[in-house]
Amino acid sequence: MADHSTIDDTRYVGQAVRTIEGRAPIVGAARYTNDFVFPGQLYAHIVRSPHAAARIRRIDTSGALKVSGVVRVLDGAEAAAHIKPITHYIDPAVFGGKSAEVRVMAVDEVWCYGQPVAVVVAEDKRTARFAAQRIQIVYDVLEPVLDAEAATAPDARIVVPGWDSNIMMQAPFRNGDPDAAFAKAAHVVKTSVDIHRFSTQPIETRCYNAVWEHDIEGVTLYATAQNPHPLRHVLSEVLGMPESKIRVHAPVIGGAFGMKMHGHPEEALMCLLAKLTGRPVKWTETREECLLIGAREQRHHMELALDADGVILGLRDRYFANVGAPSACPGWGMAFLTGLTMPGPYAVRDIDVQMTVVITNKPSWNAARGYGKESTALALELAIEDAARQLGMDAAEIRLKNFIRAEQFPYNSPTGLVYDSGDYSGAVLKAMHAIGYEGWKARQAEGPKDGKYIGIGVAFELTPEGGALPGTMVAGYDSSSVRVAPDGSVRILTGVTTPGTGNPTGIAQIVADELGVTMDAIEVTQGDTTTCPYGFGNYSGRSTIVGGGSAALAAQQVRAKVVTVAAALFDVPEADVELHRGVFSVKGQQGRTLTFKEVCYAAYTGAYSVAHGITLPLEATATFKPSNIRHTPDENGRINPYPSYSNAAYVTVCEVDVETGKTKVLAFAAAHDCGRVINPVLVEGQACGAISFGVGGAMFEAIAFDSSGRQLTRSFMDYVMPRSEDLPAVKMVHHDSPNPVTYMGLKGAGEAGVGGSAAAVVNAINNALIPLGVSLNTLPLSAPNVWGAIQAARKRGQREAAE
Amino acid sequence: MSLYPSFARPNSLAQASELLAGLSGGSVIIAGGQEIMPHINHGAMQPDIYIDIGGLKELRGISEADGVVSIGALTVHRELQGNAIVAEKLPMLADAASRAGGGRQVHNRATLGGNLVAMHPLYDIAPALLALGAEVELVKAGETRRTSLAALMHETSHGLGSEAILVRVLVPAMAAGTGWAYEKLKLSGGAYGSANAAATVQLDAGRITAATLTIGAVADRIIDAAAAVQGLIGQAWTAAAAEQLELRCPALVKQPLSDQQGSGEWRQAMAGVVARRAMAAAVARAGQK
Amino acid sequence: MMDDLLVQSVLVQWRVNGKLHEIEAMPGMSLLDAVREQLGLTGTHMGCQTGHCGACTVMLDGRIVKSCLTQAATLPRAEIVTIEGLKRADGTLNPVQQAFWDEAGFQCGYCAPGMLLSAMELLAEHPDPTDAQIDTGLAGNLCRCTGYRSLVRAVKAAAAKMRETS
Repeated sequence: MADHSTIDDTRYVGQAVRTIEGRAPIVGAARYTNDFVFPGQLYAHIVRSPHAAARIRRIDTSGALKVSGVVRVLDGAEAAAHIKPITHYIDPAVFGGKSAEVRVMAVDEVWCYGQPVAVVVAEDKRTARFAAQRIQIVYDVLEPVLDAEAATAPDARIVVPGWDSNIMMQAPFRNGDPDAAFAKAAHVVKTSVDIHRFSTQPIETRCYNAVWEHDIEGVTLYATAQNPHPLRHVLSEVLGMPESKIRVHAPVIGGAFGMKMHGHPEEALMCLLAKLTGRPVKWTETREECLLIGAREQRHHMELALDADGVILGLRDRYFANVGAPSACPGWGMAFLTGLTMPGPYAVRDIDVQMTVVITNKPSWNAARGYGKESTALALELAIEDAARQLGMDAAEIRLKNFIRAEQFPYNSPTGLVYDSGDYSGAVLKAMHAIGYEGWKARQAEGPKDGKYIGIGVAFELTPEGGALPGTMVAGYDSSSVRVAPDGSVRILTGVTTPGTGNPTGIAQIVADELGVTMDAIEVTQGDTTTCPYGFGNYSGRSTIVGGGSAALAAQQVRAKVVTVAAALFDVPEADVELHRGVFSVKGQQGRTLTFKEVCYAAYTGAYSVAHGITLPLEATATFKPSNIRHTPDENGRINPYPSYSNAAYVTVCEVDVETGKTKVLAFAAAHDCGRVINPVLVEGQACGAISFGVGGAMFEAIAFDSSGRQLTRSFMDYVMPRSEDLPAVKMVHHDSPNPVTYMGLKGAGEAGVGGSAAAVVNAINNALIPLGVSLNTLPLSAPNVWGAIQAARKRGQREAAE
Repeated sequence: MSLYPSFARPNSLAQASELLAGLSGGSVIIAGGQEIMPHINHGAMQPDIYIDIGGLKELRGISEADGVVSIGALTVHRELQGNAIVAEKLPMLADAASRAGGGRQVHNRATLGGNLVAMHPLYDIAPALLALGAEVELVKAGETRRTSLAALMHETSHGLGSEAILVRVLVPAMAAGTGWAYEKLKLSGGAYGSANAAATVQLDAGRITAATLTIGAVADRIIDAAAAVQGLIGQAWTAAAAEQLELRCPALVKQPLSDQQGSGEWRQAMAGVVARRAMAAAVARAGQK
Repeated sequence: MMDDLLVQSVLVQWRVNGKLHEIEAMPGMSLLDAVREQLGLTGTHMGCQTGHCGACTVMLDGRIVKSCLTQAATLPRAEIVTIEGLKRADGTLNPVQQAFWDEAGFQCGYCAPGMLLSAMELLAEHPDPTDAQIDTGLAGNLCRCTGYRSLVRAVKAAAAKMRETS
């Protein structure tokens, strides 16, 4: 636990307040999407392609229709006759890439394993599944395209008919004179970093339950959706219905991590089926289906130019992102963010980064916590580790030498970003201190014991959060309403949503302070397009920045109203009225108090007396729009899509058993800068969760395919995620530099840490194996892979000795 | 394969056996359900008939007579871990049962019989039982027979799971002073085994007089590494002996498994590592009470 | 004839959270589906249906099990406690629930059934568990949000509170 000694007891903000939404799940009363069942409920089962690439020659659904209890069967062609292609969350064409037409189910051709081909709707889920087996599909199997770099070869088969290549988008991130930097370098360090495909896998899978509203001929979609309003817009376009006839309701969500951002075929498909059957239709994703959704697979070819002292002069990177088959989900955008975030926290001006986003016959990506910035951190931090090793420098020293300095903020990055604030060196030093860096170094110097080698890994991650992409529903602002009832109870309705991070509590803490009420007076409503103000939901670590910021502004407006009424009741000037935790008092007049409830009731019932000067009801809606997002291109055509630049340093100690290649994480420390901390326990929870993603991804989480493109990883037997025993205690240090432009100095807290912690683990393993000559930058660093690298190094050593 | 399967819960072994004999196929035997429910949940297994043997008293109980421990097939992992007879006479079995995956929930319900009938190469119970020389009693078509577990695991028509019922497992009690160890190597806390080894050893004046060794999770069948331990008999457990054992074991792995628990090349090498580690731990434990 | 033994469904009698239920269990149906769909107790969650995640954990005859791995029809009579039945008789939270709330043990709460019931069984056997015992006690459960540290903290807090009051 971090030190929380600087808490201001008069405010909720900054305190480890217990979550208001936390009681429901522990009594089994939280209602997740799959918990809703409606009268006449039907169930859908989706038939998916067993091939990575094939032409559909024939689909015969007659066998399924004969099964008693089957209500409707649909194939891709029939669905396409009813509804339009899925609107892209982030259309690549807006950014100069190629846009594919993505249908809810395959028409004529399948382009990945697991792609929906047909759907059965039945009275119960067993019948639907049983009948689905009776659909006969004849495929002409095609040669799959699976590797990103191979997919760019001139003779590679084109995945999307009509495209001239498999490259969806190529973009440079270039600044200064990188060639000159490399020309004058004392050292050039080349590193290839292979980041594998891994996935977020929330424990709650996706679920959509579409209810046809006969009265208005509209549809309500209960959905595991992070972004209800933008999803409503997509459904409106795909279904050809006005948004006013569509309601998206996202109940409690059991973890999302980006996976529940929309563009998934099942969203519109369930709405269509509800329309066609006139009954509620539900689809619950199986874990096998959930595992189809991938992310993160990138290969970087990095080059660092350094001077004799280890100062980085220039950076080159050619990277390829294998985003799988075309999808309307926002996953591909991760690849773009990887380049945009280069060169991370380092004060390098001369850069030449080339992004190549490649379509293949693997299943599609969706957004995954880190949103590409984890890959920036991995590529940079592994390359810098290689540089330190080649130059004989300490891993921390080389970073401290190259960081942007605290006094350089706001800092204009070479890709056009404007970093708001930070103290990167300070964060690294704090994390090193927290873990006991020198002590571990001394222990390492004692040498391996019983074949166990100790390594120390340092890594840094810069995580732009709260993003806004022009021309898309990735917006930088959001809105909230604060409504106070005559009894003084408070309801916050906000456009941001929670995937389970605790942001409703953070927002309530802010409102309780701003409004002057107690926490227990507050309820928070999120995730419903019919009741909440228009908003963009949850992504990019934005919810507390813009949800909290807008709720604060609304609360301030409502506070002004009640203070006016209280002043009238007290018959004193407004400036003399004080309001704290639900009690009004008068400055300098002890004993004169009114309760919040008394004043609220007086306001509602005194429109022609004490509340004459205010606009009733006691409600306000406000928007928070961070002022430092810039979508007007600068002279180089660059924009700054992020208002906040969280950052963190990670230091870990790992022990590698060289006989087996297996690594144990012995210690972990993080110094995290997410600006002003609203609730330290929630922030630490986010950080520890992200570290778990990083540790799992670095060492064992992986999605594998066979050579025909069939996915081999189909259950949690093979997709192995960390359990309690795999993770050490995390020493967490807050190292906050408040954001100068957001409300109270907030930065995002939800996304940071996946790449930084993964890089720290990789660096620690490689650091441990320096005596054996091992350097492994192909993830995951699983026991077999590490063992293989050790064997290869030994053989290399033997060969060199023989020569 | 039916959307509406049938179900029977016989209340005696004789009744169950007679019932199974009269069925023409498509039936599956269920007890704790831990092994088959994942397949049923996902439709990969769609039996026409379930025969629930959870009510058969003949398949319950742990007892010892004449140096042989008899363990009913319905005994769950949790009981194997905590039963006094197993703890005293078959400590390696208790340990292997505690190493099984799935957590306490699975240990509370997964039966010994179900574990063995699955014949899953990655599971933990069989390597331990094979190293202990276990026998099994099974009933098929009214006939009861007893065979070694090792032989059973090579039979192709034992009918377990659909026609034959595993009744009990009979394990010779471990002699006093026997050293033992169950070594399990897995990629992470939640992973299945990548290489497992069960070893027993007896020492006399520092020399090995008898030893057994099995290696699991590296091939589609559990490997009896008797050939590899042969050379240890009469020897002291020295660094050289350990190295020899480690080198011999991979050669016994003719076709290593290569899956998400690890590549074949690594699994083959790890067969030697876990074997050596298990034997070393067994030797260290030998003679201690 | 033995065929008489074969039935199309099994009438099971369960006491669930103290209340007696008689339901028709279809062969093949999991206890998870029976609890959620037939009894309407949706606090027990589906996460993987292969027994790996633990979100479907319930207590069956005094021991925790994964309800997705348990077939309803094989339980003619059973005593079942789900997450909805964990509160004390007076409606207040039990010490484990209280500790998980107070210590921010959960984030999204989806894994709560497995974590709470596993913690309760663990603490019944080890009132003052070590870190390793907690790891083993929670080994049947996945949490994707917390990195487990807050869960371990909550188990320890619950243990301390229970030792204090017992």
